[in-house]
Amino acid sequence: MISVMEVYQLLPKTNCKRCGLPTCMAFAVALISREKTIEDCTPLLEEAKYEKKLAGLRELLAPILSADATETGMVIHPEKCYGCGNCVVACPVNVASDPKGTAIGRGPVSGKAILMVEDGVVKCVNVDECRRFGPEKVLCNACIATCPSKAIEFI
Amino acid sequence: MAGGKELTVITFRGIFQEVEEARGMYSDGYRDQSAVVALDGGDMKEMGVEAGHPVHLETASGDVVVAAKLSEEAHPGVAFMPASPWSAQLLSGEVGEDGFLELKMFTVRASSGGGRVTSIEEIEAVIRAP
Amino acid sequence: MAFCTGCSLLCDDIVVDLDGGKIGKTMNLCRKGHAHYSSISSGRLTPSVDGSEVGVEDAMMAAAEVLAGADNPLLFGWGGSTLEAQRAGVDLAKKLGGAIDDPSSYSQGLITEKIIAGDLPTCTLDDVRNFADVSIYWGDDPSSSHPRHMSRFSYFPRGEKRQRGYEEDREAIVIDVRKSPTAQIAADGFFKITPGGDGAFIEALVASLAGKIPKVEDKKRMLNLGTKLRKAKFGAIFTGQGLAHSLRGDLSGFVSLVGKLSEITRFSVIPTLGDYNTRGFNQTLFDETGHVNSVTFKDGVRHGQEFSIARLLDSCDAVMVVGSDPAAALPAAIAKKLAKAVTVAIGSHRNMTTDFAKVSVPMAVAGIEAGGSCLRTDGVRVEFDGLVGSDHLSDVDIIKRIMEAV
Ligand code: SF4
Ligand code: SF4
Ligand code: SF4
Ligand code: SF4
Repeated sequence: MISVMEVYQLLPKTNCKRCGLPTCMAFAVALISREKTIEDCTPLLEEAKYEKKLAGLRELLAPILSADATETGMVIHPEKCYGCGNCVVACPVNVASDPKGTAIGRGPVSGKAILMVEDGVVKCVNVDECRRFGPEKVLCNACIATCPSKAIEFI
Repeated sequence: MAGGKELTVITFRGIFQEVEEARGMYSDGYRDQSAVVALDGGDMKEMGVEAGHPVHLETASGDVVVAAKLSEEAHPGVAFMPASPWSAQLLSGEVGEDGFLELKMFTVRASSGGGRVTSIEEIEAVIRAP
Repeated sequence: MAFCTGCSLLCDDIVVDLDGGKIGKTMNLCRKGHAHYSSISSGRLTPSVDGSEVGVEDAMMAAAEVLAGADNPLLFGWGGSTLEAQRAGVDLAKKLGGAIDDPSSYSQGLITEKIIAGDLPTCTLDDVRNFADVSIYWGDDPSSSHPRHMSRFSYFPRGEKRQRGYEEDREAIVIDVRKSPTAQIAADGFFKITPGGDGAFIEALVASLAGKIPKVEDKKRMLNLGTKLRKAKFGAIFTGQGLAHSLRGDLSGFVSLVGKLSEITRFSVIPTLGDYNTRGFNQTLFDETGHVNSVTFKDGVRHGQEFSIARLLDSCDAVMVVGSDPAAALPAAIAKKLAKAVTVAIGSHRNMTTDFAKVSVPMAVAGIEAGGSCLRTDGVRVEFDGLVGSDHLSDVDIIKRIMEAV
């Protein structure tokens, strides 16, 4: 989890409002929820004295900004994944939609599974089926709690 | 070398080592996964070792240089090492009175430094030597 | 569906895209299995004699010559061989009047022998999936070594009597000297022991099962564990290297603990064995001789530690290693003896043992390039076909060819 304070520390802290928000703190929140992008803070990009902060911020936010971040905020770190399938088998959506496959510990057979293991690492498809997604989202964490290597996180 | 800190080493296997082994044990990847020792934070301080730096491990049977790794858990006096040709250089190879060949646990003298991490070719040369 | 011979779980639900006879995208292989599949295109062994490359036929003839000229040959390896090759290997050892052994002699052989002989109760991994409510991983870290163990069988899947998922229906207990990835998953079920402390843990658990105060620091936790195990409907104990080595060959305490548990409720032991067909070799040799490893066929059938690789290298005059790398796993002093012995290595990939060998014979990777059958770590028989074509001979063909020639 990336904290708002961590992000805030890397902003100019001038509250200049050029990003369209009243404070740098508000901008930090917007960055984490991905309503704003780093590029919206023009001073940070343009002024040389913020170079270090900018680099730090990009590094901090890399997981959020990576292409792997799905719409639920799920981030998969493929380099950490064992491909063990624990998350695949524990995911309640998989269990409900794929009773003859993932529910009983095997690879998916129904075509409705949202987590599966491809080329040795986990992959998330049909992310809109994830319980954390949409207006009635719930804080499911089955795929995180079952992982031996913290290869999945939600941001 | 008489100096160094005495540690009980326990071997284990990790998945990334297994993956590199499947890819071939003469690769840098295999060495990076195998030629390491996970140390207790306090022990590292005492020995003046930093993560990633070389550590010289020695027993009556042999010696190797491996890279230090900081353990997340505290385990003073104990170190964990992937079971590999590197850890095998430190094992005595003697069969105990109970007929058992020890492969999982042994005592080493560990000290900071020692130069470059030992390569698998160097290990093979030591084994081949008369 | 394809099979994976990356470990002794022999996963049978693997989907492989074959484009033009080559391995493409794969589904359901774990990371280790995927590396195993990828390995067919790199680091392969080439046929050689005395360091010079030769044709395979010549290499096999040289191997036969080495074995035929030996008085005390040792045939070692076999966990990475099909049942057919293992059978041929036992026949070859008999024909040569030589010894045969596998890495179980310095690993879990004793536990496996007790299971095969019926001295420890066992069940299949499918039973575990369907019925087990308590899984104990003892000195065992399948998350690292057998990555799909928990998801396919022992903790996460739904089964006949386990319909509600792991949080409500199952319990994972890990007994280990370090917080392994498996221990990480077990969370509160992790019991950390001191190195070599397995025997003391067994004693404490036995006391706790008998309602006595265990002699450990956290008495309450041990008593709770005892209660939990008493209440289990179907318990499974998975053993690993850690337990085997800590007990140093004295299994009496462990056997009596399992006996006590079995008086109370159903408990089974399944070893988590390394190579894909270690169980197959142990069973094959047991069926032939009544022992799972360390047997010689010189002057009748004899068994004992003196016929294990660790001891026999002092006296044998030729070694044939099949699908294994003892030079990398054994202590340097023993590896030195192996490097000096006249060695024939049959394997799919280059490794330290093949580097030291006088004769190298490359073989196909079973399960990917060649078919065959083997036993899963729980003893269930699995048969598979080859998936892609290969120039390499299968292990059984090589052993048979060598046997003809000696
Ligand atoms: S543009 Fe940058 S400096 Fe200005 S308020 Fe927004 S975040 Fe702060
Ligand atoms: S959060 Fe829950 S529903 Fe979503 S992928 Fe993870 S386990 Fe499945
Ligand atoms: S994300 Fe974690 S639980 Fe899922 S397959 Fe990868 S390592 Fe296993
Ligand atoms: S768990 Fe073992 S058999 Fe299954 S895919 Fe992984 S390596 Fe292969």
